[in-house]
Amino acid sequence: MSQQDNVRVARDEAAQANTPPPPESPAPDGGSPRGRQDVELPALGVWGTLRFAWTQLTSMRTALMLLLLLAVAAVPGSLFPQRPAGPGIVQNYIDDNPVLGEWLDRFQMFDVYSSVWFSAIYLLLFVSLIGCVAPRAVKHAKALRSAPPRTPRRLSRLPEYGRVVLESSGPAPVEAVEQAAKYLRKRGYRTEVRQEPDGGASVGAERGYVREVGNIVFHLSLIGVLVFMATGSLLSYRGQKILVEGEGFANTLIAYDAFTPGSAFSEEMLTPFSMTLKRFEYVYDRQSPTHYGQPLDYTAVLDVQDGPGDTAREVELKVNHPLDFQGTRVYLVGNGYAPVVTVRDGNGDIALQGPVVARVQDNVFTSLMTIKAPDARPDQLGFVGFFLPAAYTGEDGVAVSIDPAPLNPELNLNSYYGDLGLDEGDPQNVYVLDTENLTELNSRNLEAGGITLKPGESYELPEGKGSISFDGLKRYVGLDILYDPGKWGVGFFAVLALVALGVSLFVRRRRAWVRGTTGPDGSTMVEYGLLARGEDFGLREENLTLRRQFEKLWPVQAPEDIESTEGPIVVAGAAQNRVE
Amino acid sequence: MSCAQHSRESDRRSPDHPGWPGRRGVLAGLAGVVSLPLLAACSSDDPLAAQAGNADGKNYIAGDGSVLEIAPAERGEPVRFRSTLFSGEPVSTEDLAGDPAVLNFWYAACAPCRVEAPDLQALHEQFAPEGVRFLGINVRDTIATAQAFERNFGITYPSVEDRGGEVLLAMTDYVPPQAVPTTIVLDRQGRVSARILGIAEPSTLRTLITTVLDEQA
Repeated sequence: MSQQDNVRVARDEAAQANTPPPPESPAPDGGSPRGRQDVELPALGVWGTLRFAWTQLTSMRTALMLLLLLAVAAVPGSLFPQRPAGPGIVQNYIDDNPVLGEWLDRFQMFDVYSSVWFSAIYLLLFVSLIGCVAPRAVKHAKALRSAPPRTPRRLSRLPEYGRVVLESSGPAPVEAVEQAAKYLRKRGYRTEVRQEPDGGASVGAERGYVREVGNIVFHLSLIGVLVFMATGSLLSYRGQKILVEGEGFANTLIAYDAFTPGSAFSEEMLTPFSMTLKRFEYVYDRQSPTHYGQPLDYTAVLDVQDGPGDTAREVELKVNHPLDFQGTRVYLVGNGYAPVVTVRDGNGDIALQGPVVARVQDNVFTSLMTIKAPDARPDQLGFVGFFLPAAYTGEDGVAVSIDPAPLNPELNLNSYYGDLGLDEGDPQNVYVLDTENLTELNSRNLEAGGITLKPGESYELPEGKGSISFDGLKRYVGLDILYDPGKWGVGFFAVLALVALGVSLFVRRRRAWVRGTTGPDGSTMVEYGLLARGEDFGLREENLTLRRQFEKLWPVQAPEDIESTEGPIVVAGAAQNRVE
Repeated sequence: MSCAQHSRESDRRSPDHPGWPGRRGVLAGLAGVVSLPLLAACSSDDPLAAQAGNADGKNYIAGDGSVLEIAPAERGEPVRFRSTLFSGEPVSTEDLAGDPAVLNFWYAACAPCRVEAPDLQALHEQFAPEGVRFLGINVRDTIATAQAFERNFGITYPSVEDRGGEVLLAMTDYVPPQAVPTTIVLDRQGRVSARILGIAEPSTLRTLITTVLDEQA
């Protein structure tokens, strides 16, 4: 990243220097005018101000600040309940803290990750990123086509330097340089051989262009991830549906229990498919003493139709193995019991009959039951209570469930009569019985007591209000239906970003020069130097490799110094490593 | 459409290009790519999105009363489906052909369905002599529950049981219902001529029925 910093800082400085100097004020260094109050501030004008804002935004400093701000802004998301995670909890929080909750809601604290301010931060961050990467990509595209840099006059000043003097039987300088260039090309360098004015030749070589490519691709991939996440968020939808055994679902809005559309959702995007839950199978752990009764496997057997007019086929739906309908995925996310009940009203007519979905409360499937019979006459009837799949009544007379399997199903209900409040047309929570306009008929506190029903049993309500019977038991499944067309793009660019990051971290960018000259005694002298761009701990190794290769290629004169025959000399304290 | 409030106007688009967003839609889409989550703040104007983030647990997608009316020239293919009435008799769209028909998607515990039920029955009685057929399509209830509803509200037109979603699936080929209740008016050829999402205002529905009645078969 240091390279990137350099580029950004350089851009910064260039940008500041580019701001038009004020006509009146001297400010010859083009530096910041801050801290000099007596100097009149330059008039930037609209265009200048925009350019100033742009360079500020695309500066590294701003990008880092935005990144930090993003991290800080994400904190409220873990402090306050979030709507996408659980709208119910948010509602409870607002109910519990009416004043604070309302103000927090005003600042979108319950929906932090799609709030205006959070979005502003990361959009600015990505604009900053684009503003930085785009010019760099252009610059690097030019660099890719340009020749390796000129050979420095004094190679010995480079951090890694070596020199070999050839025997008289060795090649001429030009030939030697060409052989060196060939070898460098084999090592992945891009080379250019040049004639030197004094009759010798040199080769300039550079490798590791792909490092900068990796760097740019990494940043572009991040932008790709954002674009596809945005597309996904626009076009995606997510819905929930509870399906009782024997019931069906067609992918139309009308069939959903709850539905969250993307910003650009339209009803035509719903893939037409339908499915019917044939049966639900479960396996609970019966071996382990510590995890007795834990679920091991859930399987929903569904009859699926891929479109209108298609023939039905049977499929198995398991947890984490979604069904796919042209990109729309159906996940099995929950299950529970739906006791089949019949409610008769005071006139003896059936007011309600069928499975009633009971909300699971814990891992032994203690379930909340709410039954509303708005068509009971003369009075509407309502029931609330528990369904217990494996009921066990303790000494205190309170029944609890002790196992998730339906070993001893039991309904424990209170009953009410009166106005359920459905006839005004206002939507109502199906799992909550609003008892405000209702009169209690059965409860533990009343003389009549609560209603306890086993399958097949029925109960006559007091005062001739009707009856309720527990006819049987069905299972239901909770389905999550998801469509996110941006998902694959996000995945592709996320992987690409990682690969590119790896490339930009592990590929070394270095330059090499080899110059062949005719020495004072007429023998060929080959000098070479290496320069790393950025940090490169392998540069020394590269020096030795080159030297070994040269010794293999040419008859090299033994150095005069005894020490140097044993290997390269490291000049301590200097930034130069010489191999002679 | 993200921010665009569902209006009569925006709903009056050609059914021949159901997937084709209007100019506004394209603009919203383009703007959305750039400033997508910012839209989340204003998308509460969308009645569908407004239902997404709340915890009312009502378990159905409510309509906002928006009306889609399609001019005769722009109507799609005649609707075709077959199903079974609660009485056990088979019913198909061929039985309805020749006369205008009104399809009403409902279930007993849906609060708005309970509000519009008396109006629908009144319109049924008003238009029955002129041949307009009413057909309820019950999307959730068992026969006994549905019959209790019909008994209470004195509903005399028949309903089909569609807990399996077959009729709903068939309707996705035409103009899909999007809320409970949804009321769809079919013309004499069985083509969708109008759709009301949410409670059907009796005066609106009467106008829509009169429109198709006045058309020549």
